[in-house]
Amino acid sequence: MKQLDRILGWVPWIFGALIIAGIVHILSILAMPRLAPNDSYSQLAGAAPLSRLAPLPAIAPGSELAPFEDPAMLASICRYDLDRGPLRLRGNFGGDQLILLSFHSRFGEVFYSMTDRSATRGVLDILVLTSLQLAAIEAYDSEDELPSELRLIAPDKLGYVIIRGLAAQPGGRDTATTRLNALACGLEASLPG
Amino acid sequence: MENFLRTLATLLIGVALGLFATYMAVERGYGFGAVNAGAWRAWPKTGSPEADPYARAVVARTGEIPLGLAEGLMFIADSDDTGAPLDPKCDYTIRGRTPPARYWTLTLMTPRGFLIDNDLKRFGFTSAEIVRERETPLDVIISASARPGNWLPLGRPAPFVAVLRLYDTIVRASASAIDARSLPSVVRGSCS
Repeated sequence: MKQLDRILGWVPWIFGALIIAGIVHILSILAMPRLAPNDSYSQLAGAAPLSRLAPLPAIAPGSELAPFEDPAMLASICRYDLDRGPLRLRGNFGGDQLILLSFHSRFGEVFYSMTDRSATRGVLDILVLTSLQLAAIEAYDSEDELPSELRLIAPDKLGYVIIRGLAAQPGGRDTATTRLNALACGLEASLPG
Repeated sequence: MENFLRTLATLLIGVALGLFATYMAVERGYGFGAVNAGAWRAWPKTGSPEADPYARAVVARTGEIPLGLAEGLMFIADSDDTGAPLDPKCDYTIRGRTPPARYWTLTLMTPRGFLIDNDLKRFGFTSAEIVRERETPLDVIISASARPGNWLPLGRPAPFVAVLRLYDTIVRASASAIDARSLPSVVRGSCS
């Protein structure tokens, strides 16, 4: 009997440990995007400047910037800090080559993605901004016509846009590079037109 | 004094267990939301604003740049159709149809998602460059030694996974199930 009492005495402690384990587990999972030192934004921060579209090095064994990147893709990224102002992406897709765009926030949320096919008349015109900046811009909008650009509210002030172009054939890398170079990104004030 | 020690032990064990569970969850995969189809597995929600906290944690930890919803979908196979893990000593044939997509690519990678170097510098095929028969849009042979047809060389005898990416596809992340017959089969051939 005495032994049973001793074993039963441990039960609440075991329960306590499990509850603590659950809380620690949930908190650490939720905190991971903010604590992980090697997330994509940190990796790319060293490889690309702010507010400018910069080509990433071709994907080769041993020199990948991120895991699970397709070697058939060429990529450019544009890092942004909306504290400096809204980010404008502009350019012509042209051609039929596959081009992919995705918008990533600092802590890993993909808040928008598209392909060249979904652009109106092959033209890229996107403004990434905060909700405050959007309100400021909307105040100047003409009431008669819709804005020509797509406006995206970013969930975080920091983030990056990655643009990937497929080199469908081994010889297609130059074409893909040309297509990517036809696109530009910059601070809203600094882009002409 | 005894109660203090017990409390301390409970705390320490709890924290250790919790962190261990996190480690396992993050190292093992993308948490919930995986869609299985034959040998293939995808995590369609990883590239969407609705990504679950586990998927976010994994992506933050690995530094992966997930494909967005509209960009496409990535499938990984780490085993063949029978469920046996891919063995670098064996040949594999990946053959069959692919779901409708503007392009697909098939790449060999390490389980952590890095390229495996080989002398030919051939790391994968795209749907545009592959030599195909009429009814089978995808027919690739994976082997350490040269094979006729669409041969994907396995550079060194180390664990690998096959990565199938569908770009600009109508297979949507909202799909909670994908028909295994719409994806190519992974069949083991001879082993050395």
